[in-house]
Amino acid sequence: MMDASATGAARYAALFQSESREHLDELDVALLALERAPASPDVSAHVATLFRGMHTIKGMAAAMGYTVVERLAHALESRCEPLRSGVEPISVDALTLLFDGTNALRVSIDHAALGRGDTRTDTATDTTTDPGEDDRVTALIAALRVAASEGTRTAPVAQGTRHESASTATRIAASTTPARGLTSPVVARAVDIRLNDDCPLKGVRAMIVVARLGSLGQVVRSTPPQERWQDDMFDGVFSVLLASEASDDALIEAVRNAGDVARVQIRVHVAEPAITAAPGRTVRLDARRLDTLLDLVGELVISRDRLVRAIEAMEHPDRHVTAAARDASRLVSVMQEEILQARLQPVSQVFDRFPRLVRDVAHELGKEVNFLMEGREIALDRALLDAISDPILHLLRNALAHGVEDGETRRAAGKAPVGELILRAARDRGAVVIQVQDDGRGIDRLAVLRHAQHQGLVPMSETTLTDDALLPLVSRAGFSTAHAVTNLSGRGVGVDVVSTRVRALGGQVELETLEGEGTVFTLRLPTTLAITRALLVEVQGETFALPAVNVEEALAYHEGLEVAPQALAAAGYRGPGGRAITVRDEIVPLVALDEYFGLDQSSSARRDEDRERHLALVEVGGRRVALLVDALIAQQDIVVKPLDVVQGAAPWFSGATVMGDGTPALIVDVASIV
Amino acid sequence: MSQTVLICDDAIFMRTMVGDILTQAGYEVVGEAETGIQAVEKYKHLRPDLVTMDIVMPDMGGIDAVREITRHDPRARILMCSAMGQQALVVEAIQAGARDFVVKPFQPSRVLEAVHRVLAA
Repeated sequence: MMDASATGAARYAALFQSESREHLDELDVALLALERAPASPDVSAHVATLFRGMHTIKGMAAAMGYTVVERLAHALESRCEPLRSGVEPISVDALTLLFDGTNALRVSIDHAALGRGDTRTDTATDTTTDPGEDDRVTALIAALRVAASEGTRTAPVAQGTRHESASTATRIAASTTPARGLTSPVVARAVDIRLNDDCPLKGVRAMIVVARLGSLGQVVRSTPPQERWQDDMFDGVFSVLLASEASDDALIEAVRNAGDVARVQIRVHVAEPAITAAPGRTVRLDARRLDTLLDLVGELVISRDRLVRAIEAMEHPDRHVTAAARDASRLVSVMQEEILQARLQPVSQVFDRFPRLVRDVAHELGKEVNFLMEGREIALDRALLDAISDPILHLLRNALAHGVEDGETRRAAGKAPVGELILRAARDRGAVVIQVQDDGRGIDRLAVLRHAQHQGLVPMSETTLTDDALLPLVSRAGFSTAHAVTNLSGRGVGVDVVSTRVRALGGQVELETLEGEGTVFTLRLPTTLAITRALLVEVQGETFALPAVNVEEALAYHEGLEVAPQALAAAGYRGPGGRAITVRDEIVPLVALDEYFGLDQSSSARRDEDRERHLALVEVGGRRVALLVDALIAQQDIVVKPLDVVQGAAPWFSGATVMGDGTPALIVDVASIV
Repeated sequence: MSQTVLICDDAIFMRTMVGDILTQAGYEVVGEAETGIQAVEKYKHLRPDLVTMDIVMPDMGGIDAVREITRHDPRARILMCSAMGQQALVVEAIQAGARDFVVKPFQPSRVLEAVHRVLAA
């Protein structure tokens, strides 16, 4: 039933898009599985998935009036028909065409749903002059049709049984239509596992089971979810939903080999239709509503702080008012926590499109790489998830283009000819860590050092670069080593983008590289984006927020802490501003924030010279700096508002926040100072 | 040729005990490490088939040692040795790349089962 109103149409468009994407992800999984093992006994299941996915997308597109999508999906569906019926074996050519076709389908779906979706409904009958169908799609549809009708004239990669080819056209006409609209089932297997009663650390054992299964296929999800495995309540009974081409026996053996398994059983899994999934327990919800809720709760937190302060300022606060405010305050905290939890989504939502992208990029570059993903179930705030997708893609591309060598070079270096690229998510204390690791050639430190010295970025006396020193250099905008080191060409700009983006999210980037052995980029991110703990400090009458993750300690400043300039010079010390203090026998650079930010030191907010000043000791990636401030105000939760960073402006700030009294404060990007 | 093992634990008692269990089962203990840093160095040098790794050790803990070793050699087979009540640390170790774990106090049969599993995979 189509809603005629504009908002109704937009809602359907969004639904169409999100559901189509799920189907496209399934198509990718199936295509990749077919490409990996074209002779596996599960081929027919994968082809069935392809057929059904395309059929469903076609049906939805027809209902929406998206003719380009419909025509493309139809052509793809037809192309799968001879594969499904077994008339034609899986071949490289067939897969290449299907890969291209699903790519184009993804693009058309996004176009249709975002752009001209509603006008398309009006012009649905006019397929020949469809403005949305470009030449490429037309050519692709034609190619799919030719290939589908030719059926079998392709190079088989597998010795499939080739039956006498019946007329493909009649087959298509007679093809059954198993799935319709929004209720297509997903074929996958559920593995039910019970651990031994006396198994120690059941949660960890379950992780090992999943890791073993993960090496045979893609773990879609687990019940109960992995976050709950480390609870005391976890009894060692769990179920893993898996998309894999391995045989049942292979799965059972893998689970048994993980140790301490009492029972394992495999079920063919028929997923609940996405929309009606588990009625009453899950609902689909426009993600923007969650954004709005979060903004509102953020405002609520600020009003609460204001209220609490107002009550504290009263000389004789009313007992009832105080009690009510305390209750309200607690409820606001609980609500904030609940909303933050509701926004958490597994990284798989972003990760799952990478296998396909990695495959495509590797193909383009003519390199062979084994791509592994770990920790797909780790959850992050959805805003963070959206924001890290591009940086990860950058890093993966970099690793393929500049890290992983081609087969011949690898062989010559005594390495396995197929490179390994790992995308890993893991929880590390309060943070989430995402790593892109390759076993390629690594970064040529010496070449970077020479280049940096040439540009005057590093003194000529330095003879080596540590990993910590390397990162700021390769992530300098425009730091291209294209001439000096060919294997780094382009890396500067990419890493610059990654670094800026991750820091703006309150995260950090780390780099480790070993020449000849590979490179690991680590992105360390807060689990939730919007609310963070900060130390509020005052400088020249203005309030600034230092993210608590960076603050090691705060101490009172007195001149005795400072190292004499002569002593510094004698030690060959060159820090920002040429000042330093000693803390427990360690020399730490000192940065006076008023000078650093260029705040007017003779302004009306002139400092009372007798007032005691303070130092905040901050740390990023192993480097420490003492920040000199006028006063420490408080440590509290702040709501982070992104700053629209205009090129060249305010490079030291990663965001802004609003204080309890309504005044704004800038959040200091500590990494830009140390 | 028997399979080689590097034992990492800061307590001589534990090293001796694990060593005895493995030696009697026909494995060859090729090295011992008392700290995480030693573990990493000896791994690179000895390239053993298996590493047993204590979680809490001086200068570099077992988990960081796992990270270092697997970064150096993703195929390294590392078995964590954990005391009761270290669940969160074991989780971290597995995420860092350790293949399996045993819980102290050690039962020889449990240790050997875990060793078999790690070496068979």
